[in-house]
Amino acid sequence: MKQALDIETLRRRIATQERLTPLRRPIVPMGAATLDAALPAHGLQTGAVHEVQPDTAGDFAAAVGFGACLLARLTQQRPGIALWVTPGHGEAEHGALYPLGLAALGFDPARLVLLRASKPVDVLWALEEGLGHARLAAVFGIFPETARGYDFAASRRLSMRAARLGVTAFILRGRRDEGESTAAETRWSVAALPGDPVADAATPRWRLDLLKARKGLPGRWDVEWDHETLSFRLPAPVADRAPVWKAITPSSRWAQAS
Amino acid sequence: MPFALVTASDSGQRLTALSPAAERLGLTRGMALADARAIHPALQIAHADPRGDERALARLALWCQCLSPYTRPDAPDGVSLDITGCAHLFGGEEGLAELLARRLTHFGLGARLVIAPTIGAAWGLARHGPAPHLIVARMDLAAMLAPLPIAALRLEETTLSAMEKLGLRRIGDLIGKPRAPLAARFGALALRRLDEALGHEEESFRPLNPPTLHRVQCRFAEPIITLEAIEIAIRRLAEDIAAQLETAAKGARRLELRLFRVDGWFESLALATSTPTRDARHIARLLGERLDRIEDRAGFGFEAADLTAPSVENLAARQGDLDMSEQTDNDIAPLLDRLVNRFGASNVTRPLPQQSYLPERASRNACVLKPARSHDWRAHARMVQDGAAFARPLFLFAVPEPVNTLAGVPDGPPTRFEWRRVSHRVINAEGPERIAPEWWRAPLGASRKTRDYYRIEDEAGRRFWLFRDGLYERGGDMPRWFIHGVFA
Repeated sequence: MKQALDIETLRRRIATQERLTPLRRPIVPMGAATLDAALPAHGLQTGAVHEVQPDTAGDFAAAVGFGACLLARLTQQRPGIALWVTPGHGEAEHGALYPLGLAALGFDPARLVLLRASKPVDVLWALEEGLGHARLAAVFGIFPETARGYDFAASRRLSMRAARLGVTAFILRGRRDEGESTAAETRWSVAALPGDPVADAATPRWRLDLLKARKGLPGRWDVEWDHETLSFRLPAPVADRAPVWKAITPSSRWAQAS
Repeated sequence: MPFALVTASDSGQRLTALSPAAERLGLTRGMALADARAIHPALQIAHADPRGDERALARLALWCQCLSPYTRPDAPDGVSLDITGCAHLFGGEEGLAELLARRLTHFGLGARLVIAPTIGAAWGLARHGPAPHLIVARMDLAAMLAPLPIAALRLEETTLSAMEKLGLRRIGDLIGKPRAPLAARFGALALRRLDEALGHEEESFRPLNPPTLHRVQCRFAEPIITLEAIEIAIRRLAEDIAAQLETAAKGARRLELRLFRVDGWFESLALATSTPTRDARHIARLLGERLDRIEDRAGFGFEAADLTAPSVENLAARQGDLDMSEQTDNDIAPLLDRLVNRFGASNVTRPLPQQSYLPERASRNACVLKPARSHDWRAHARMVQDGAAFARPLFLFAVPEPVNTLAGVPDGPPTRFEWRRVSHRVINAEGPERIAPEWWRAPLGASRKTRDYYRIEDEAGRRFWLFRDGLYERGGDMPRWFIHGVFA
């Protein structure tokens, strides 16, 4: 009775052959219930690709900072080092990654290996190599704003390799690739948000757009990062600021974008 | 076409080397160029390049290492090889000499080859011997040397002219003469050179590079050109050296591969590893990744290859993994090695804290190949910030960039600033955090003024780290403002 193979068995067989989600990987919750609710497994999937992009050119540091916070939460759960790959020439424009700044966000720089690669293709190569090592916690790749190099095929390769050993990849991609669809699990757009003048100014705040989430609900939130508890939280609205956006229903344009 | 090399000296331009055609015309070395031109006006000349000759000779000596590991250039005109124990690999001394002669002819070099039992005899016979190719046995040594001029003894110019004045023109004139008068007149060195040439005294051979203990090599029946063939050869060499290191209970920290081309060139690639290794697969993989475009440089092919481990460390024997595929999962060292191998040691780094209050000196990037201790970054962050919660920016500019500011009060943070032609209105400012210069350190081109740092937030919510370079003083200049970093 070959025909009697039910749909579920076939799905599982395809899943193992695709090697995208063959195993149950640990989930990294974001710390804020509202954010987690938008994600299919109530948190970030490890062993997958997550993309972060700056909302405008000036939000580069904000986007990297948000990625570093995700990394900090992840490395809390998973031992091992993080491989951080940057295009070398970006340092003149954006400055060099400052370990004490990472420490201020809650990520331990002792677990960091920095790699400067000159071309996007080298960044990709290094990320793929890193994903092939089970002892790594995560890889973090920054693609330059101007150069192409991270496309659907690249993201697909990365997610397949990530799924194999459970190493997570965070990709900082340029805005110009916006229209391109990729095989990433989630894609976040990050914008700076004016801080609460009363609160501790050392607490970073961002406006997050979840542009894409596989099996999840895209949405927009204002968040704060707590570097003590390593968790995100939704700040209380402040009177002299525009009203906080609510998470929106799947019928809106954000849902269609995924 | 008669041709000569000339060198400019105090006494005008003189010929230093001649082509056979020029020699047949009766020109001699040391002749003035004007005289030579008088004899043969059409003489072609070029300027001698002694440094270039030296480099080429050293290169040739290195290439000769595909025949023997111990070679050295003998400036200005020779190369010595210690072939003890090597000749049988090439079909005996005749085979070796024939192979070398053929190769040198291909390179376009005319050479005199002598294989002799002593260094001195080989040197003298190669330069003054009766035939261009000679193989001399120990029993014939004295007979072969006797008719040579005394110049074949590697003696100084003054000793040579003193001997000639006394009528001692051939080595045979010195053999068997009373030793004490000779030594008294010409010095002990002259006798020692004679004894060394005759084999009465030992002479040690000082090779170009210090001998490495761990070296494997292979020669190919036919020159190889394709990448596949080179990769196979590398895999074999890696296995050989791994076995050798295993026996010695060592692991390689540095490795050098050389591929000898049939035309006298060689390709060399060196690599370093973060931990001692003798994993043949890992070594072969590291070397393989460096082979890009090697085919373009193969020319007519490689005829030999060797792999050496110039730097090794103790590495105790370890039980092999049962499942070889899981081998690399134990350690990230192989990954780091491959990254360093591809991107260079300066591009693969690990941040280390450094005891300094100055932001740009508070951390440094160290190569991952150096062994690292684990560091307490939390304690370091508390130290540089004096326990207060002044966070540090995520990105720091190597050189702080000047900004134009508009300050509300002279001693406070700016109310507006312009950076990279974009104006920012300051909504929120926190500070100052005062950082004094390290007066005990010589200034590295940087300003040695006290800096007041402010965390500044503009209307879009972007956060910057600005500092005022210097303090406001009565009657002093206006201090300048700089941006040093960007917060997340």
